[in-house]
Amino acid sequence: MAKAYLDRIEALRQQYLATRVDMDVYNAKYVTEGFKDTEGQPWIIQKATGYKYECERKQIYIQDHELLVGGVGFKPRCGILNPDSASGVIEKEVDTISTRPFDPFYLSEEGKKVYLEDVKDYWKNKCVLDRWNLMLPEDVKKLRANGAIFIDRKAVRGYGETTVDWRLLLAKGIGGIKAEAEEALAKLDDAVPGDLEKSFFYRSEIMVADAIIHLSHRHADLAEKMAGECKDEKRRAELLKIAEVCRWVPEHPARNFYEACQSILSYEYACYMEQNASSYNLGRLDQYLYPFYKADKEAGILTDDDAQELLDCLWIKIAEMSLFQDEVTAQYAAGYCITVQTSCGGIDQYGNDATNELSYMMIQATMDVKFKEPNLSVTYSIAKNPDSLLHKAVEAIGMGLTMPAIYANDVGIRMMLNKGVPLSEAWDWNPCGCVETNLSGRLKEYTDIADINMGAMVELALNDGKSRITGEQVSVHTGDPRNFKTFEEFFNAVKTHINYVVDAITSGDQLLDYLSMNYRPVPALSLGFPHCMEVGKDYSQPGAAKYTVGGGVITVGQADIVNSIAAVKYLVYDEKKLTMDRLIKALDANFEGYEDVQAMCLAAPKYGNDDERADFCVGEIFTHVVDQFETYDTKFGKMTCGMLPVSGNTPIGQWVGALPSGRNAGTPLTDGIGATGGTDVNGPTALLKSVSCIPHARYTQGTQLNMKFEPEMLKGEDGIAHAMNLIKTMSTLDVYHAQVNCVDRNTLLDAQAHPDKHRDLLIRVAGYTAFFVELGKETQDEIIGRTEINAWVGGCCGR
Amino acid sequence: MAYIPDYEGKNLTCMVLRIERSSIHDGEGFRTVVFLKGCPLRCQWCSTPESQSPQIEAAQTGDTTYGVSMTVEQILKEVRKDIPFYFHSGGGMTLSGGEIFSQPEAAKALLREARAEGIRTAIETSFFTTAHAVERVLPYVETAFVDLKLFDAERHKAYCGVDNGTILYNLLYTNQMDWNGRLIVRTPLIPGINDMPEELEAIGRFCAQLKKLQYVQLLPYHRLGTETYRKLGRTYQLPEVPTPSAEHMEKCRAIVRKWVADVR
Repeated sequence: MAKAYLDRIEALRQQYLATRVDMDVYNAKYVTEGFKDTEGQPWIIQKATGYKYECERKQIYIQDHELLVGGVGFKPRCGILNPDSASGVIEKEVDTISTRPFDPFYLSEEGKKVYLEDVKDYWKNKCVLDRWNLMLPEDVKKLRANGAIFIDRKAVRGYGETTVDWRLLLAKGIGGIKAEAEEALAKLDDAVPGDLEKSFFYRSEIMVADAIIHLSHRHADLAEKMAGECKDEKRRAELLKIAEVCRWVPEHPARNFYEACQSILSYEYACYMEQNASSYNLGRLDQYLYPFYKADKEAGILTDDDAQELLDCLWIKIAEMSLFQDEVTAQYAAGYCITVQTSCGGIDQYGNDATNELSYMMIQATMDVKFKEPNLSVTYSIAKNPDSLLHKAVEAIGMGLTMPAIYANDVGIRMMLNKGVPLSEAWDWNPCGCVETNLSGRLKEYTDIADINMGAMVELALNDGKSRITGEQVSVHTGDPRNFKTFEEFFNAVKTHINYVVDAITSGDQLLDYLSMNYRPVPALSLGFPHCMEVGKDYSQPGAAKYTVGGGVITVGQADIVNSIAAVKYLVYDEKKLTMDRLIKALDANFEGYEDVQAMCLAAPKYGNDDERADFCVGEIFTHVVDQFETYDTKFGKMTCGMLPVSGNTPIGQWVGALPSGRNAGTPLTDGIGATGGTDVNGPTALLKSVSCIPHARYTQGTQLNMKFEPEMLKGEDGIAHAMNLIKTMSTLDVYHAQVNCVDRNTLLDAQAHPDKHRDLLIRVAGYTAFFVELGKETQDEIIGRTEINAWVGGCCGR
Repeated sequence: MAYIPDYEGKNLTCMVLRIERSSIHDGEGFRTVVFLKGCPLRCQWCSTPESQSPQIEAAQTGDTTYGVSMTVEQILKEVRKDIPFYFHSGGGMTLSGGEIFSQPEAAKALLREARAEGIRTAIETSFFTTAHAVERVLPYVETAFVDLKLFDAERHKAYCGVDNGTILYNLLYTNQMDWNGRLIVRTPLIPGINDMPEELEAIGRFCAQLKKLQYVQLLPYHRLGTETYRKLGRTYQLPEVPTPSAEHMEKCRAIVRKWVADVR
């Protein structure tokens, strides 16, 4: 029999699914008012003032059935505009944003007016995005204009990809953190150099702390008012409880499980309100919440169903956040993905198994709620975590929930070590956003400042540095490929273009750092980073967070570059089935009239089959990319890399001509680190073997593997056991991450045709999950085209 | 590149039908199944007729060739690829066919070297071979799946083309062998041919004598491979026979269970 608490959850689910996604421009208005009222003062004080106005003036709400309350926008499911980050981004879209194909946001006539009259003009040439476009170096602009790189994401939206110190919040409360700022401020001496700047920081910390507390008290007031008007006895009691909880947290230390959940939610929203950005992660919730759960259980004031209900409510409130992106950026990561990640499992500070009751309840919450967020994962320690946790995870995956994603915990730890975090802290890492690595309250980074189009790197080598789509010279000259006498000469040309692009991207990163340090302070977020408080510096500054690393750069089209290099070696140099001249002519013609060449290209060895004729170059290419980036330093540390193309492989593919892999011009590149759809024919073990050739741990921003399984494969205890074995092996192969779509093709096709019937159909896009029907057609098609593994067995030869 | 020291039989050549990875139906865990070509039996329900001839065969349609010649080392190179998966799943290499004893030297070399490299081994065989061959190969086998299709000698000859005396003898011979592996007897259940109570009783009674027997497995007949028969220009001899229902399978198992405790 269904448990009683599920009635509330189902009601909240339906309420959510019936809610349109809107654009909130009111926050932007209040921020603008704050800046105007403090003109001439330090930027961080202006920002803090704007934030204070938001908390004081924004419209708040409490929905039916809710136990946990709050909101980012003026209503549930809102995107918010950060005018100081990217005011202008919405200007050219005011009339189309409500109906655009990727992630439409409804903007009312009134909203339009607010934006055009109260926001727009003030930020002209003042917001980060405008400054970025004014200052971006020409070589970077040219690469961007030709689709060889995509680099605007972090100019459009702010920090995120971060995890605050949740343990600190629960232990001290915002009020306790504020008290530290007051104390530090009192100790400053204006006559000492540097103290003046510190005083700006501490003053802004105090302002935003007060603002966050004030906003929570406003919710308490509203709950009390609603209780006074409420006829239903049960709901009135709930509202009074909400009022009591919001009166206490996040200001004070949480006293019980309920307060801990609300405190986390309130501060989560507080950070997001400050900066529209993805991935303000919840981190290792099973660890942070466990002391409260345990104490409440022992005191007899909490049952498992109570705890589950609260977790489920938290899940739904997280899903309420909707990332606002401009039209172009949304193509690269469609689905309103806020990618707030939370993980369970892993190990504790002694190296012991960290699994507890809440680890299982977190998976259960995703099973109950069946929403796209939060982005749930298991940091699976093969040595320490119990099989029963993995079993529960596979059950959820088999239900088609696409989550939890599974991480090899040891690889995650090694990534942290690579980021310069010592082992004494690296054990506490948590997955971030899609597949990146974070360290709660200690690590500052931009995990994905730019994408490199790996398909273009081959194209440039085969076209003397020119784009085949635009004909423009976008990179250096590497000569006519017909003159490459050996495979090595060709391979070197590819590397030369990679080097050129790495240099350009790094100069973009340096500019972004400059702009962020000057125009992107985040006083509310800084409350959650104790080292900021210690040194008196905002999160945006070098040396503020305990650890910082340089910008993360994402390689897109892993399989495309591997397959293309493999095909050139196999067809032109090894087997001599083709001359370079004929290959180039075929690519120029997009294989039209060269169907025989395309057939040869498609038949050449392919990544994903555990075939060394393709996989031989995987380690070398990707080690080269990361080696090259690590030669560059920034104010925050060495540049970093990741492989999390989100949904960017689809739009970025439009900028790449035909490739030696046999791929046609303009079609999507391959998602994640998997094989090109339909080319991996040797089954799941062969795929994982190819994938294990990637130097995962050096890609410290994570590597992301999508797999699509026929639901039949995970049925029953046998199916679950096979999947568990596959995951365990993945762990021993040092493959960092895998996520599984367990849905059959016909369901997806039916959902495309009848979206209304499939409003809650979940699909794993990249490192995040979305509602399938909320994705644009191109992304839907790309997902349908991925290889579906329909049986465990795969061939390898003699077929 | 991994370096593997030389071993006996490394360069023996072998006719392989195909190799499948991550199979879950041919032993414990994830298996790499090596299908050797060539089989002395001609079972009318055979689902892989392309495995019967010991030679490379071309389909009449011209688009497919069945069989590839590989050395023992080339085969093991494929088998080694999934070693990490064998570890967690308890999987390994399964030699199947065709009939593996139609290439006994290569089979032995494959199995012996697999064991030497820590790869678990299984075979799927009809045991239609000499006791001497069984004796030479079995020490390197952890699990032997032996097909006993019919107990009745005449009907066996009629439906499978050969006498079953050798098969029964070899099965009993395992009793005397110094071998610690697991023996599993498999019977494909074909309605109207071997699902009669007296036939199942006979199979059960016989299996009860096998000391190394782990269990008897009854597998439901499926009309598979008809497309391949067409491609090879051969006719599928068995008339239309339905796939036995789950209930019927259970009934048949109950009969065998009178003699053997574990029937699956």
